[in-house]
Amino acid sequence: MKNFLTRLLSNRMYFLLILLVLVIIVMSLISPYFLNLYNISTMTRFGAVLALVGMGESLVILAGGAGIDLSIGAIISLSGVLFGFMVKFGLNVWLAAIGTIIVGAILGSINGVTVALLGLPPLIVTLGTMYAYGAISLVMTKGRPISGFPEELSFLANGNVLGLPTQIILVVVPAFSILQLIMEKTSFGRWVYLVGVNAEAAQFSGIQVKKVRFSLYVLNGLLAGLGAIIMSSWFMASRPDIGDGMELSAITVAVLGGFDIFGGVGNLIGTILSVLIVTLLASGLQLANINTIWQLAVLGLILLGSITINQLFAQVTAEKKQHIIVKKGEQLWKK
Amino acid sequence: MKNFYTKRYIPKPSRREYFTIFLLITEIIIFSIVSKYFLTFKNLETVLRNSTDLAVVSIGMTMVILMGGIDLSVGSALGVVAIFVGWMLQANLNPILIGIVAIFSGTVIGAINGLLITKTRIPAIIATLGTSNILRALIFGMMGGNWLTGLPQVFTTLTKGILLGIPIPVFILTVFYVVFWFFLTYTSIGRHIYAVGNSSEASLLSGIHIDRTRILAFVLLGSLVGFSALIYVGRLASVEITVGLYLPISSIAAVIIGGTSITGGKGSVVGTLAGVLFIAVLKNGIVLLGISSLWERAVVGMLIIVSVLVDLIFSRRAEKMRREQLFFQRTQFLKQNIQERT
Repeated sequence: MKNFLTRLLSNRMYFLLILLVLVIIVMSLISPYFLNLYNISTMTRFGAVLALVGMGESLVILAGGAGIDLSIGAIISLSGVLFGFMVKFGLNVWLAAIGTIIVGAILGSINGVTVALLGLPPLIVTLGTMYAYGAISLVMTKGRPISGFPEELSFLANGNVLGLPTQIILVVVPAFSILQLIMEKTSFGRWVYLVGVNAEAAQFSGIQVKKVRFSLYVLNGLLAGLGAIIMSSWFMASRPDIGDGMELSAITVAVLGGFDIFGGVGNLIGTILSVLIVTLLASGLQLANINTIWQLAVLGLILLGSITINQLFAQVTAEKKQHIIVKKGEQLWKK
Repeated sequence: MKNFYTKRYIPKPSRREYFTIFLLITEIIIFSIVSKYFLTFKNLETVLRNSTDLAVVSIGMTMVILMGGIDLSVGSALGVVAIFVGWMLQANLNPILIGIVAIFSGTVIGAINGLLITKTRIPAIIATLGTSNILRALIFGMMGGNWLTGLPQVFTTLTKGILLGIPIPVFILTVFYVVFWFFLTYTSIGRHIYAVGNSSEASLLSGIHIDRTRILAFVLLGSLVGFSALIYVGRLASVEITVGLYLPISSIAAVIIGGTSITGGKGSVVGTLAGVLFIAVLKNGIVLLGISSLWERAVVGMLIIVSVLVDLIFSRRAEKMRREQLFFQRTQFLKQNIQERT
């Protein structure tokens, strides 16, 4: 029984599924309005941007080298602001949206150049760019939101396709499937894992570590740009502080999803599951009329708790592996 | 037993710290040429007064970064302590008692961070991100959406007072920086912090209690944060809901600009003081030149990146020189060997 439990808990996916079910049970006990298919599908709207950004952050963390991106929130803000300006100056909305994604990728590539190519510490560089991007978007808008998006954009965040929220069906699901396909089926995806596990070994086996890491930062910026479009369509305005705090949620989601902060371990399915957990928890708390401020605390507690569990299981599995190796060695010795 | 053959190692500020001081001086010269208000006693006093709490927190941040960690929760921690102080001021308690409680509660927060990082092996950045969130929520919960305003001005003398014609912040900064400079350079515990930052494995093997050193650094940072909460409340006589939102980033920026290596083990509080003053003077200069203060954060952000770049260039050059020296020594040694044999 104990063995079964540890096996169940040490598999990240099972653990997250159990947590998800627990959250749903607790929330439906707290609020009678919670357990309702329509309700839950609407709630997933809130998680769309987090899912995109969380996947980007997960991959950056996965590639190791202390990789982390604190500037995603600021990238969302800045590319959202530029989206607003592009539409304001009379550009077609969908063209402007493509432009926004490109802007996001460019902002991400600035991180990529400094971190991956020049070799500066990611934490500090992205802290700096977070500061810089956030301030630039404030300066550009003078702190005021830009409105004036055409009505058709609203469809993206507030419309439905086949009875499900548009941004989930048309953005998050395709993005997730493409990324998952890349990670599991292409050599690039495998390179990312290898770079995360052992950058030196990857270098010696002919993988261009710097380029792999660089492209992940660009991808991260690209996903943030996509998130900025959804955010703008959600509010029908672009605010310069729209992405504040997003980096924290993204890191939380990645860590809760089972990504080792030192790189090399993790699966995007875990990220998606933890996005579900976090969003259901947040909107459930809102439904239960608990002050939204406590979400911050809950997020912080989940972050600390999940990483502690990560570390504990990492220790347990390492001990087990050593045990197995010792046993095999003994058998070999006997032969 | 004293070993006569080993010279006592006395660390000195490196070239990197002088670089920051040089930058600070050029900045001051430029601003005093551009604006005639800059070099007045009143303006300089304002600059100093507004950066006292940042300067005190940055000492602690220097220690934590030296030891290879980082703390993102200082801002929220300062907020929580400041609210405690505000409440106690409203209850008209004894100022000395308030001071003790403030420093103690800061210490407790620091200890929690330190224990989290050492006992559960959570990376410092993640752990402090988590505690920062929890404390931020606590601030909201404690204040309930209202500001604490019109607090009795008990601690105002800490920032606005003038003793013997010199503003009190000068005394505070001198005392704190001299004490912690001495602590970090001349006491063995201070050197342990450097050792742990340079290589935790090597320091473990040489018998340093790493976990204890790490916890100590966080505890000291916590108590410094507690003290600067007093300064903060004294300076503003109010606590708003966004208290300390940019404190972690500003103090990390000050430490990094001051030449402390982000990977730990290199740097000093002397550089940090120069970094703090550099940022403070820059903020003041931006206002004096009439540039929108929204630019301030952008400039600080770029400065962080530039100073890390400078760090990288310095360290690469040093490494290259060391390698060349090593190569030179080896060739000399080989030549001697060959000569002896032939």
